[in-house]
Amino acid sequence: MGTYEVKAEVTGSVWKIVAAVGQEVEPGGTIVIVESMKMEIPVVAEDGGRVEAIRVEEGAPVAEGQVVAVMAG
Amino acid sequence: MNPSPAQSPAPAGAAEGWQAEVDELRRRRAMAERLGGPEAVQRHHGAGRLTIRERIAGLVDAGSFREVGKLTGQGRYDEAGRLLEVVPAPYVMGLASLDGRPVAVGGEDFTVRGGTSWSGDRKKGGQGGFVEDMAFQYRIPLINLIDGAGGSVTSIQRRGHAVFPGVHGFERSVALLGTVPVVSAVMGTAAGGPAGRAILSHWSVMVRGTSQVFAAGPPVVQRSLGQRIDKEDLGGARLAVDAAGTVDNAAADEAECFGMIRRFLGYLPQNVWELPPSLPCDDPVDRAEEALLDIVPRDRRKPYDMRRLLRLVMDRDSLFEIQPTFGKAVITSLARIGGRVVGVIANNPMFYGGAIDVKAARKQIHFIELCDCFHIPLVFFVDVPGFMVGRDAEAAATLRVGMRSVYAALQATVPIFTVVVGKCYGMAGMATTDKNGLDFKVAWPSAEWGSLPIEGGVAAAFRREIAAAADPAAREREIEAGLKAVASPMRTAEAFGVEDIIDPRETRAHLSRFVEAAQGRLRIDAGPKPKYGVGP
Repeated sequence: MGTYEVKAEVTGSVWKIVAAVGQEVEPGGTIVIVESMKMEIPVVAEDGGRVEAIRVEEGAPVAEGQVVAVMAG
Repeated sequence: MNPSPAQSPAPAGAAEGWQAEVDELRRRRAMAERLGGPEAVQRHHGAGRLTIRERIAGLVDAGSFREVGKLTGQGRYDEAGRLLEVVPAPYVMGLASLDGRPVAVGGEDFTVRGGTSWSGDRKKGGQGGFVEDMAFQYRIPLINLIDGAGGSVTSIQRRGHAVFPGVHGFERSVALLGTVPVVSAVMGTAAGGPAGRAILSHWSVMVRGTSQVFAAGPPVVQRSLGQRIDKEDLGGARLAVDAAGTVDNAAADEAECFGMIRRFLGYLPQNVWELPPSLPCDDPVDRAEEALLDIVPRDRRKPYDMRRLLRLVMDRDSLFEIQPTFGKAVITSLARIGGRVVGVIANNPMFYGGAIDVKAARKQIHFIELCDCFHIPLVFFVDVPGFMVGRDAEAAATLRVGMRSVYAALQATVPIFTVVVGKCYGMAGMATTDKNGLDFKVAWPSAEWGSLPIEGGVAAAFRREIAAAADPAAREREIEAGLKAVASPMRTAEAFGVEDIIDPRETRAHLSRFVEAAQGRLRIDAGPKPKYGVGP
């Protein structure tokens, strides 16, 4: 069992943090929602697992490729 | 018998006929099968790579490979002129078939001098090699299995002079691109000429982890720029496929790579004078998926899974995505509907709302040109807010490359079908329609269009009126609501400004029927397509 990083695919701002630290997430489950180009873009944990850390705050800007969360799984 | 340095003298007492020569032929062929020898082959396997002979065997129909030039190489003889060994030329090629269709296939043999060039009377492969000529003259697809670094400075020593660039030029490679399908698979480390040929293809693929491609490798980079970088960081799939889009697709291993090559060529005709192969279709063309009714959320801020939408509409398991990891704002995929090949271009709302950035535009341009060249009708699934905006986008020349995608679509002569499922705005939206053809567009009830989205446009267009209002924000919302009511797609359909609004569940039956009807036109237009003019 290792950890992996969940990265934002788009630049924008954090609209909502959906998952909480410690929570188990299904593969493809949404961790945070980024607002970009007037759309609410989900940032998902491809392989699922437990949320180890959330690295962003609601309302904060986020850049393409930025780590938003660390997952254990 | 006429003794020559290339032949061993016939053994004394040989029987009548040519058995001795045929025996020698068998020996020579066995030497060719040894490639660079057991140690070199073992090293190659140790690096997780197959030999060129294993690659060809893994790719083509069983038993279909008919090799050309198997005897080429560097012979060594004893004092009596008897053959000791032949080090094979570092390129293996010939005729084979894929799913029963003939193809020209060849690749460097890395186990012989790293697959570097070899000078015989005629080149077997590479730029202007026999394998390229065969594909061109027989009008059959060419598959390059690339594993070589191209020229080496040692050739100066061998020849006694430096060759001018282009002595072995790309002219045949370029002519092939307008004639027959060319697939390049980067199977090892490719630099120089082989890397160039990887790009001069209709579709390219590389293997994650064991292949790299670049203009020049790490030693040259270090000397030129002082940068220390390993070859995987410089030209592995993560850079060359995902970030740069230099190569189109990546395979997990060589076996998957062969399957992908076979799959890709299954959508293409043998040459530009033929039509893409239709297949019998057991997926009913009137299959109407309920899920299509609510796949586009009413809340237009919510994105949805465009790939799922495509799977619901096109023939089951028929989608083959080109460049799935690059230029993600747009999805380009070969597919079938009713068994007939189409090229699907769909905006991806999950990536910047589907706004066309430079990468997406580049991807779209290549795909349009590919489909146009091989008479594959285009189907657009449109949900595009426009070109990407912002300083970064402008600095990357989004407008220029975006307009080149508009230019490419307007130069294409294949039929284009447009299904507007969401937003269709601005120049990027215009580029999704067949303006030089039938200009046939259908829309889902979720569609909306205009020169720019109402939200963005109201503030600018009604600036004075809004500023003069007692409650400017309320006035802005009021104007927006009023315009939105008038902007309903049904009203455009009344004006025949869009040819139809359809129930999303009818999309498959609708498309299938019109793609079928367009086949006659495709037959008439089949042939090479010269391109004129200057793209922006």
